[in-house]
This record gives sequence, C-alpha cells and structure tokens, in this order.
Amino acid sequence: MRKAYVARQREALGRKSVAVLPVHYPKEILTAMDVLAVELWGPPGSPRGPEAGRLQTYVCAVVRNALAFMAGGHADVVDAALFPHTCDSVQGLATLVTDFGGWSKPSFVFQHPKGPTRASARKFLIAELRALAAWLGTLTGRPLDVEALRRAIRLHRAIDETKARVLARRERLPLSDRELYEALRRGEWLWPEEHLDELRELEGKLALDAPPRAGVPLMVTGYVPEPMALLDALDDAGAYVVRDDWAAVGRRVVVPRCAPDLDGDPFEALATLYYEAPECPTRSLDQEARTRRLLSLYDESGARGVIVHEPKFCEPEAFDVPAIKRAFAERGAPLLYLETELETELSGQTTTRLEAFVEMVGARRAA
Amino acid sequence: MIGVVGKLGRRRLEYEVVKRLVGPLLTEVESARARVKSFRKRGHQPKGPFGPPLESARKLKELMTRHYLEGRYADGAVPVAWVTSGFPVEVLRPLGFHAVYPENHAALCAVQRVVPHLSEAIEQQGYSRDLCSYPRADLGSVVLQETPVGRLPRPDLLCCCTNICQTTLYWYRALAAHFHVPLVLVDPPFVYGEAKPHHREYVRDQLEELLDVAGKVAGRRATMDEIVEVTRLAREGTLLWGECLAESRNRPAPWTGIDGFFHIAPIVALRGKPECNAYYRQLRDELRHRVDKGIGGIRDERHRLLWDNLPIWFDVRGTATLLAERGFNFVCTSYTNAWAEAGSRIDPADPLGSAVIAYTDIILNQDLGKRYATLARLAEEYTCDGAVLHSDRSCKPYSIGQLDLKQRLAKDLGIKVMVLEADHGDPRAYAVEQGHGRLTAFMESFA
Repeated sequence: MRKAYVARQREALGRKSVAVLPVHYPKEILTAMDVLAVELWGPPGSPRGPEAGRLQTYVCAVVRNALAFMAGGHADVVDAALFPHTCDSVQGLATLVTDFGGWSKPSFVFQHPKGPTRASARKFLIAELRALAAWLGTLTGRPLDVEALRRAIRLHRAIDETKARVLARRERLPLSDRELYEALRRGEWLWPEEHLDELRELEGKLALDAPPRAGVPLMVTGYVPEPMALLDALDDAGAYVVRDDWAAVGRRVVVPRCAPDLDGDPFEALATLYYEAPECPTRSLDQEARTRRLLSLYDESGARGVIVHEPKFCEPEAFDVPAIKRAFAERGAPLLYLETELETELSGQTTTRLEAFVEMVGARRAA
Repeated sequence: MIGVVGKLGRRRLEYEVVKRLVGPLLTEVESARARVKSFRKRGHQPKGPFGPPLESARKLKELMTRHYLEGRYADGAVPVAWVTSGFPVEVLRPLGFHAVYPENHAALCAVQRVVPHLSEAIEQQGYSRDLCSYPRADLGSVVLQETPVGRLPRPDLLCCCTNICQTTLYWYRALAAHFHVPLVLVDPPFVYGEAKPHHREYVRDQLEELLDVAGKVAGRRATMDEIVEVTRLAREGTLLWGECLAESRNRPAPWTGIDGFFHIAPIVALRGKPECNAYYRQLRDELRHRVDKGIGGIRDERHRLLWDNLPIWFDVRGTATLLAERGFNFVCTSYTNAWAEAGSRIDPADPLGSAVIAYTDIILNQDLGKRYATLARLAEEYTCDGAVLHSDRSCKPYSIGQLDLKQRLAKDLGIKVMVLEADHGDPRAYAVEQGHGRLTAFMESFA
C-alpha cells in the first residue's frame, strides 16, 4: 500500500520521497520542500531478506529489519534516506548501509543535539536544520522557500494539536485501539495535509456527550506499538490505551508550553519546538523529567495501570525502565513490563500476561 | 559553619596524608616485597608460553593502587568528577578534580569476575542483562556500595562525552538521577565522511561551556596557562603510549596485546598527569630493551594477530595463554591504538581547537570506512597474518559492521579473520569452551 502511494505521489504530483528511520526529525522541512516522508520502523515481522545477517542478533529488530528492507531493494521506491541520530544502532546502520553496501541513493544523517537547551546545542540544531534543508534542496533541485516552511510548521502544528485533542479524549472515541493507532500511524507515510484531513474526520467522531468507553484504562510507555496484536489483546481482555508515550506516537505530539514565533525565523521556531517536545531518552539528559511527565500523564488520564512496552535490545528505553518502575511503585500504580521483538503476532504467553494484568487492575478498581 | 569547615579541613588533611605519605609508603613496602620475591626467583626461568614478565607491571600496579587509594579520601577534600573515558579531562585537571573513570573501574570489576554479582543487584531493579556490562557493573557497585577498590568517592560532577557511544548518555542519566549532581555533556557529532564546520563549532562551544560548569563546581575557572600545561602532559603521555605500542612492530613483539590491555589504564585514568608520563617512559624503555635483547612477549612467536574491540576482560589470560601455546600473539589491538591516536592530536599551542579534533575524530565516532582503514593499516604496520574481531555483546557501536569488516579484511589483505562473539565484562554472556574451541579451529587454519 505504501509503495503504491509513494509511486502515485511521484507520478501524479512529481513529489519526491525519503525513507526516514526513527525517531525524531523535522518533518516540517520535508513538507516545505514538497518531499514525502515515509518512516521505516523496521518494518515488523521477520527480516525481509538475508542482509539482516550482516548485523549481530543482539542489535534491535528495528535496525536489523531496516537493513534487510533497504538492502533487499524494498525501499527503492523512495529517492533518498534520512537517518536521525537516534542511538548507536541507527548511527551504525547509517554508515553500514551507505559505506558497505545496501543503499546507494542519497542519504543524510540528521544529528540532533543531546541534552538540555544550551546555547551551543541550539546553535548547532539550527545549523543542522539548515543543512538538512540544503540537502533537500539538492535532492529536489529547488531551494527552500521560507514562507513554505512557515506554512509547513503551521500545518504540522495543526496536526499535533488535533492529535493531542483526539488522544486526550480517547475514551470518547468509538474506535478500537487498533483502529485508532492504525489511523494515527498513517501519518508516518501519508502526505501531511491528507493526514490532517483524516485526523479531523477522526476528531469528528468524538462522542463528547456519550459516556466514556467501558473497560480498564491503561497507559503505555515505550517505543512503537508493534505488534499491533498487542492492542487486540488488550481489547479482548477488556482494557484500552487511554494515554500513550510510545516514541512513535504520543511522544512525538508536541504541545508547546510557550508558542513559537511562527512569523519570525522558521528555523528558530523549529528549534523551540524541538526543546518543547516530550521527554525522550534519545535526546534528553534528565531521566527524572521523563518519570515526572509519565506520572503527570498517568494522573491526568485516569489510567489504572501502566504498561512499559519496550523492544528487546533498545538501550535508550531500557536504561529508563528501573526509574519508571520505581516511580510508579512509589505511586502505588500497577505496572507491567513487556518486551517484544517487532514480531507480527503476540505470543500466547504474552497474551496471558496481559490478560492477567488487566484482570488484576480491574479487580483493584472494583475493590 | 565552623563544623562544616572543620569537617572539610579534616577530609582534606586525610586526603593529603594518604596522597603524600600513606600512598608512597605503601608503594615502597610493596616494591620492597616485590624485590625480595624477585630476588628469590632469580635464575628461575618462567614456565609457560610467555616471555619473562614485564618489570613495569609492578609499577603499573603501584600507580593504579595509589590512584584508587587517593580516591577513597577524595570526596569532601577535592572536587570529584566521574568521567567517561573519552572526555576532555584536560579541562578538569588544572582545577584539582579527582577523576574517577567508571569504565576503568568496571573493567577492573570484570577482571575480578564480580560483574555478575554487581549486575544482579540492579537486574533486580529492572535493568536488563542486555545492557552493556560496564554500566551494569558500575550501577551495581553504586547500589551495593561494593567495589574491589575499597571505595569510590561520591561525585560532585558527572562528565559524559558521547564520542565512544550513546550508552554513556543513558548510563550517566541514571547516575545523575541517583547522585543528584550536575551532569555536563560533551556531544561530538558522529563523523560521516568529514566533520562539517558547524559540527566542529558545536564541540568547541561545548568545551567553552564545560570550562564554566567545571569552574563553578571547583570554585574557580582554569586559566589558559594551566590548560596548556595539562594539554602538553596529555599529548606527551599519549605519544609515549604510542611509542610503547609501536615496539610491537618488531619481531618478536616484546610484549603481548593482552599486556597492552592492562597497561592502557594510566593513559585512560591518569592522562595529563606527570606520573602517567613517567610510567610510560619506563615501560617504553623496558620494551626497547627487550627488543634489543630479542625478548618476546611470548616465547615462540609464529603468528601475529590483530584484535578488534575491547578485550574479554574476565578471560584475557585464558585467551592469551591458549594462543601463546600455539605461537600466536596479538601484536596490536584497535582499542589500545585508539588511545595513542586521539590524544596525539591535541596540541598545547591550541588546546581547545585541537581538543575539538582529538575528541571528535576517534575511532568509535567515525564511519565504518575509517574503521576499516585503521584496521587495515594496523594489520599492515604490525605485519599481522590474521585478525580476531571480538563481537562484543556489550558494545554495539564497536561491533556493528564487523561482519562486513571481516569479509573486507580477508579479501583485501589476504589474511585470515574470525569473529568471536563474547562480552567484555559479563562471563554469563560467553561460553568459554565454545569460544576457545573456535579460536583453536581458527589457529588450525594457519597450518
């Protein structure tokens, strides 16, 4: 479906496309340059080809699968690749596949700074944003139109604001978790204006006068909602995701405390938004800030329990798990730690654990 | 207030007494004991496949013992920084910081085979065994307050540089949450191809910020003259270390690559200090003497190997013995070489500008093309006829790409290459018999 969509974008609109590895990147610049971003979160399932064998099995499935996918020619429909500087594994993939074979099309590494807002980091970030715009200019043969960037920022602001409203009232949405997250994740590859239309349609389905959805509300923090069967299992067990902090979804919805100046320098506005984004271990130095945010999400959402859902071998996420566990234990909140490997289906064992957790949380509420 | 000042004064006094009296005294006692032992063994030819032990090894032990002994009394007496191995420590030294290297400490824990015990303590808290064994060992040591070195001083400042891996970032995040002390970050962008001007500028700006933060913690800012002097010492020490390594270009190599893994400790933990340089001068002279006398690190050097990645600390001796018995010696390692290359780029004439390059362009912060070029150059300069690439479960940035590197090295250089999957710190992640079996089969392929 994505391949056909990307091809149509090129044929009908002359639009170039870029495969983007997880997690954080300034999509606004791609939109402004009329470039379609197609995110590559693996894809899930078994690696699509033998090239995954070029990486050890202790490297996360997202990166191994991406290597197999790219080197196997499955991403050839796009014109280039963008590697955000997310972790050691994505960093290694960016050199492995470009220097030692597997990806011969243009590529760019977006090296976002780590740590808190510092003068050095902000200056560097803006330089990186400009470098990305220049690279896209070479790719498309067109220089960046600053006004187009301002429009793109406004468009993505509208997308995030709509997503935030939908996610904040999720219990009033007559959709299963799978239906909701499939809709939200279409933004990983749809042209942003189309995605915004779909989100507004989704928002229109909010039944604000109706009673909230029945079931056990849970909060999830983690990397990516794969396998999607996880959502089905929760549904079957009588639970739903009332708030999420998946890096792929909720953690990328930016609701700035102070609005950036959209009429000024758009690169400054993007830098402000970068530092206003929710805490993520791939960018931040402050572990306690993440746990504070998670506790706050938990409190405001009415969740009754937390699932920490991490992919195996994901170092940025795994280092935070003990702190998250500790914080929620002190709060007296039930927590389930779940490790998956980008498989397409959920194991029976995991399903049983989910069912038991939902049952336990439900029983606590009843008591 | 008077009580606090009194306490601080007492700590300082204890620290100075240990540093100036107890440390040197213990060193003298230990040295005398070693001399007696050596005298008793005179005339005895050492058994086994190795050459005579290095005299400098005793000095190394004294040096590192004193470093950790001083550390026990450092907190409350002088500012204490916990520092990643690739951090520009030259900025901290003039301010009198006692620098603790958690990686060096974790390696020591690994050699002593206490990593499983320390790691289990934090695995109970939810840390995954898939994480690097260095942070698991150190965080376990912090939680249990146990360490083979007696005691680690509590940090006043955490100093993290991501030029070796992003793992240090997550590790130091956890340390900052535990100790509630400032965490200062130097974040050199990964170098794909050539570093861009704004990447260099970013590192330079961070070094300027570091000067401010370190100055605030220490109570004063380092002067440029002081930084120049420490930079001079650091450069000299690094060049001396490089000279020590280069002696292995001779046949036979006067020591083993495995020795190098241990003798690397001062350039990591004491870089920029006079005693570090004095040590490497002694080691270099001893190695030159061995070369002149034709004394090898192993008795019968028939094959010369390159080792890539960190060592398997808990099986260093076992691996070396297995190989030495069959005439194989690791004459160079990319890991020990990295410490000779990075610091040699720093220049007292331009301490900060050269530090930007030195701390950005290190092997683990560069693309695989440059990794390959380094390995190929080492294999040629040290006339290696084989290479062992340690696929280290605890070090993804070092290990990613090794399966391609193996093919390229074998094809381009015509040498035999094997990938050995193990772990640098956790014996639970390595089947020794299986690993030794693979190494044995590899060595048989040279027949």
